[in-house]
Amino acid sequence: MESLYLLIPLSVLLIFVVGAIFWWSVKGGQFDDLEGPAYRILHDDDAPQKERPNGDGIQKTQDSSSDER
Amino acid sequence: MDNQATYNYKVVRQFALMSVVWGIVGMLIGVIIASQLVWPELNFGPWFHFGRLRALHTSAVIFAFGGCGLIATSYYVVQRTCNVRLISDKLAAFTFWGYQAVIIACVITYPLGITFNKEYAEMEWPIKLLLAVVWVAYAIVFFGTLAKRKVKHIYVANWFYGAFILAVTLLHVVNSAFIPVSMWKSYSAYAGAVDAMVQWWYGHNAVGFFLTAGFLGMMYYFVPKQAGRPIYSYRLSVVHFWALSFTYMWAGPHHLHYTALPDWTQSLGMVFSLILLAPSWGGMINGIMTLSGAWHKLRTDPVLKFLITALSFYGMSTFEGPMMAIKSVNALSHYTDWTVGHVHSGALGWVAMITIGSMYYLIPRLFNREAMHSIKLIEVHFWIATLGILLYISSMWIAGVTQGLMWRAVNPDGTLTYAFIDAVKATHPYYFVRALGGLCFLSGMVLMLYNVLRTVTEGKAVDAEIPAVAAHA
Amino acid sequence: MIATTAATACFHCGEPVPPDTSFQIHYRTTTQPACCAGCEAVAQSIIDAGLDAYYAQREQPAARAQPLPDELRQQLQLYDDPGLQQSFVHAAENEREAALLIEGITCAACIWLNERQIGRLPGVLGVSINYTSHRARVRWDATQTQLSTILNAVAAIGYQAQPYDQARQEQAREKARKSALLRLWIAGLSMMQVMMFTVPVYLTGEGNIDAKWLLLLNIASFAMTLPVVLFSSLPFYRSAWRDLRLGRTGMDLPVSIGVLAAFIASSYSLLTGHGAIYFDSVGMFVFLLLGGRYLEQAARLRAGAALERLVKLTPAFAHHLPDWPARDSREVAVGHLQAGDVVLVRAGETFAADGIVLEGQSAANEALLTGESAPVSKQAGSKVVGGSINGSSPLVVQIDATGEQTRLAGIVRLLDRALAEKPRIAEQADRIAGGFVAALLLVALAAWLFWHWHDPAHALPIAIAVLVISCPCALSLATPVALTAATGRLAQLGLLVSRGHALAGLAHVSDVVFDKTGTLTLGTPSLTQTIPLAMTAQDGLARAAALEHASEHPLALAFRSSTSWTASEIHNHPGGGLTGLIDGVPHAIGHASFVAQHCHGPAPAELMPGAIYLVDAQRWLAGFVVADALRDDAAATVAALQQAGKQVHLLSGDRQTKADEVATQIGINHVRAEATPSDKLAYLQQLQRDGARVLMVGDGVNDAPVLAAADISIAMANGVDVAQASGDAVLLENRLSTITQALHVATATRRIIRQNLTWALGYNLIALPLALAGLVTPWLASLGMASSSLLVVLNALRLVRSGAR
Repeated sequence: MESLYLLIPLSVLLIFVVGAIFWWSVKGGQFDDLEGPAYRILHDDDAPQKERPNGDGIQKTQDSSSDER
Repeated sequence: MDNQATYNYKVVRQFALMSVVWGIVGMLIGVIIASQLVWPELNFGPWFHFGRLRALHTSAVIFAFGGCGLIATSYYVVQRTCNVRLISDKLAAFTFWGYQAVIIACVITYPLGITFNKEYAEMEWPIKLLLAVVWVAYAIVFFGTLAKRKVKHIYVANWFYGAFILAVTLLHVVNSAFIPVSMWKSYSAYAGAVDAMVQWWYGHNAVGFFLTAGFLGMMYYFVPKQAGRPIYSYRLSVVHFWALSFTYMWAGPHHLHYTALPDWTQSLGMVFSLILLAPSWGGMINGIMTLSGAWHKLRTDPVLKFLITALSFYGMSTFEGPMMAIKSVNALSHYTDWTVGHVHSGALGWVAMITIGSMYYLIPRLFNREAMHSIKLIEVHFWIATLGILLYISSMWIAGVTQGLMWRAVNPDGTLTYAFIDAVKATHPYYFVRALGGLCFLSGMVLMLYNVLRTVTEGKAVDAEIPAVAAHA
Repeated sequence: MIATTAATACFHCGEPVPPDTSFQIHYRTTTQPACCAGCEAVAQSIIDAGLDAYYAQREQPAARAQPLPDELRQQLQLYDDPGLQQSFVHAAENEREAALLIEGITCAACIWLNERQIGRLPGVLGVSINYTSHRARVRWDATQTQLSTILNAVAAIGYQAQPYDQARQEQAREKARKSALLRLWIAGLSMMQVMMFTVPVYLTGEGNIDAKWLLLLNIASFAMTLPVVLFSSLPFYRSAWRDLRLGRTGMDLPVSIGVLAAFIASSYSLLTGHGAIYFDSVGMFVFLLLGGRYLEQAARLRAGAALERLVKLTPAFAHHLPDWPARDSREVAVGHLQAGDVVLVRAGETFAADGIVLEGQSAANEALLTGESAPVSKQAGSKVVGGSINGSSPLVVQIDATGEQTRLAGIVRLLDRALAEKPRIAEQADRIAGGFVAALLLVALAAWLFWHWHDPAHALPIAIAVLVISCPCALSLATPVALTAATGRLAQLGLLVSRGHALAGLAHVSDVVFDKTGTLTLGTPSLTQTIPLAMTAQDGLARAAALEHASEHPLALAFRSSTSWTASEIHNHPGGGLTGLIDGVPHAIGHASFVAQHCHGPAPAELMPGAIYLVDAQRWLAGFVVADALRDDAAATVAALQQAGKQVHLLSGDRQTKADEVATQIGINHVRAEATPSDKLAYLQQLQRDGARVLMVGDGVNDAPVLAAADISIAMANGVDVAQASGDAVLLENRLSTITQALHVATATRRIIRQNLTWALGYNLIALPLALAGLVTPWLASLGMASSSLLVVLNALRLVRSGAR
């Protein structure tokens, strides 16, 4: 039973840590938009690269990425 | 090639392939030990004895197969959703080789009888230390990548992965407290009921954060991606995350119903196991409803079948779990094969199915292919796996209830109606069915390995470019 | 190449591609048709930017792309002026941050597209667009790029971005929302955790747990309760303190006392080692209360969104004539205009501020102010109103009021205030609760004194149980929760309720008064009949369309259709019609008297009154009857209302004959035509004097006095945003039948509020004596209070499915 001396304070500590994380995420705007992220992952195109039919498009993407660096 | 312009797919590829390999190894051992229960003659020598192989089976399936799958997908998801390469290639490579070393060490030591004697944590202290180091490295890679993300919002899957990584760190450290007596022997730092309590606090939360939170992270990324639809309610997914993280911690004592544990802690375990049903089902509904309006995709897409069936099994076993935590039900089910069936409806139905589905999504992309080598084979794999699970859990359920009823049956004069061996005899045919179910599932995995190898040889290991997108404000 | 037939849809916007055009879009490996040069250019720039995935991902076609006039491009340059930027750009060294409102977004893929487009500009440090509000936050490096570059980039792909300068007010609201959310979460978290420590105690009963474990559990509970008492409950203390200083008692006073007393007493028990401990009650109590408030606040915020659109009505720039009467114009930001400045307003442009016409003759569309879509003629000396639209020809206007002094700003202010007001019915509940609270405090005090006398050990727990169990939590939740659920349901049905009292009022309505134009009718003229004269109806229509093509006149809209004819040298004759050359031949279109001047041929024997005729120099070619058509569901709605026992009235500023025609068509008996706004008001007030409770359905702001005087008002959403926000509620999809549904929902709401109040009061009446008698422990009290509140909430949620027929 002495394990409770460890587990209960640990859980209290944990809750405070989690509370802090939650506080950080609210302040940081993690919950500002609760619809968009669901769509955003879908817009991330992870299809294989070479098989994209528009060879043109990919050329352009590379160009623009090198522009920015 | 400029490293910063591409994602680190190499480590994802490594973990993904090993996940398939370890899946076959773990399930093969499972079939062997299931057969040993049907034909005890199969226990050859001390090394391949049931008692030693069983621990290897659980660890291989959970930590080797599930763990590699989780790490592979978490590395993939964190990179893709944060729009940034893993923080360190070297550290990531270290996590791979380190993790494989831990698994191989377990594969060698467990049959040798070198064990710490704790469920799901049988590895001896040198391996435990190595695992701790590897796990911290994993945490650094994951959270470091998260920290330098280019997208302001942290996608919910990453929250689940993050909770999984942190909780496992904590669980491993607390539960593994050991006193070494020699190179290959140590004892738990706790004793008696405390040890039991800590062990099941660990054991339960390993299920909660390793087998649930981690795989929910997988679910929240791969189900929407494969379905091509946004998650049913993103809001619900966020609430689900916080609610689940909180309730899980406390349901542990239900593993110790009717033991030396004080009655009130058992009751606590029961109450919170019941409460747990709500967030669990929240997640299941959220996942399944993602398909609303696109159910037709389920007919043609076997990968989606895997993912959605996984969610159904998740819903089923998270319903069954709390029921079994009710003390009166537990009185019947505890120590019977019902528990084994319950665990496998979670492990095969949820964990394995969601991992397999995710791998079928992931592997072609890692090797620059549009899809797996054969969609037909995936379909076959799906049906054979589903059949295997159904055989497994129905036989174990019947066996478990039979055992429970026979053990508790008493004659009017108060003596037991059945000897223990009577119950063993009664369950023998079900053990055979169980072994058959396991064999089905295993053969599905062999098909998968073939399919994966074909896909890998046809494809090319290419690291995808990071889309040139400016940071989010 | 794909053949461009009339049936082909534009690849970009989905509209039919006119025949004989050959606009093309090269998408991936195919060539796709486009309907116009605008769509072609936009689609090509999307594809050239490597963003072609947009077309694969979108769920809806884009809006038809209009090429950006050069002039507008120049205007965008003005946004780079630091003086102008002050109001909406946040600057830190070289880094700038602004909020932009992006128009034209139809689905998630649009967001993706815009984010990529802005994000790929060199110098842009970050961009994110909120999916719900379509608002973008953009950060950029001022040394590398300009705001106008960003705005241009958005325009290039067919969307419009406008700086959004409400950001500051928004920020405050956002901050309040965040802190409310945080308080709620913290309370919920702590509640759950403390429950985990407490449940075993309840389950096993006295004495089964060793004292040392109990102490440990209690200390942990104490630690977990601290944040609730110190952080989550702060708003209660503040508001209780405010009430106290004003000498009132509010809901928050017993809440504060309950929370603090329970916490302090528990802590004292923990310290001394005896006495009851009820940290769990504290967390649960606060969490439930905060939850109710958060729901209510969320519903109110949603209603406020309509207001934001108003601000967009005024344009950002005007053509200033600094040296009037000299004609040199200069683009200036509207914010820089002052009373006395002279500006030029071209046809089709929006007046930037209130003013007086100095020169020119035109007609202005003041639909947002009058609700009648017929243009109002303007000449030298007429007053014009900011936000209204100049119809046919340029006007020179001297500004007499800007910014906050304009009528539009006044309307916005009014609406702002209306939105902030608490629903009357909720106020009422609060008042009842307030009285209840005062009594409750006295009772609790008396209980404490009584028990202190008889059994001091139980005095405090009993007093706290009294406070907690009979806290009018359910009482104060009863109304807002029902209102929130009903508001949500109505929004689903297509009625956006912007003021709380509307719902309560709807249930009592005895008379429904409809405005005619734009309410019972579509509000826009449409072609109802074509009269062939010297040529077929089809030919006549094609020529009319060519002539009317460029006109901004509302009647011209009725002729909008694709035509193979083109007209040149089109002249607008205000009050008469249009003249122009088709194929080099002079044509005229307009009222009979006007076209007669341009045609030598004899007029047809029978002239339809009010019809429009097309002529060339010799012949009367065709006639057109343009009328305002009735809405499809007008008659059914009126019938349904009458069946439900409501009196239905028609008020119109239009001619008697027209009003009568409409009334007989849809079966309204009470008609008042040719009514000025004050006539309408008088009519309404007469009804009210006779004891009627009036629901007014209209679409204008000049109806504002009428709408305001009505017990309840519903505005149509077809017109302009101003009109929308002026009603107590807005009919979003202009389905009149929604009104009948709304009445059902309102009745159900009233019923549920009554049930809730009855339950809450009944519960308190039963629970209070029990608590006084010392039969209820604080945790049981909390549970009772919680389940009572839960019941109220669940009952209210039934509204979510109400009124479905």
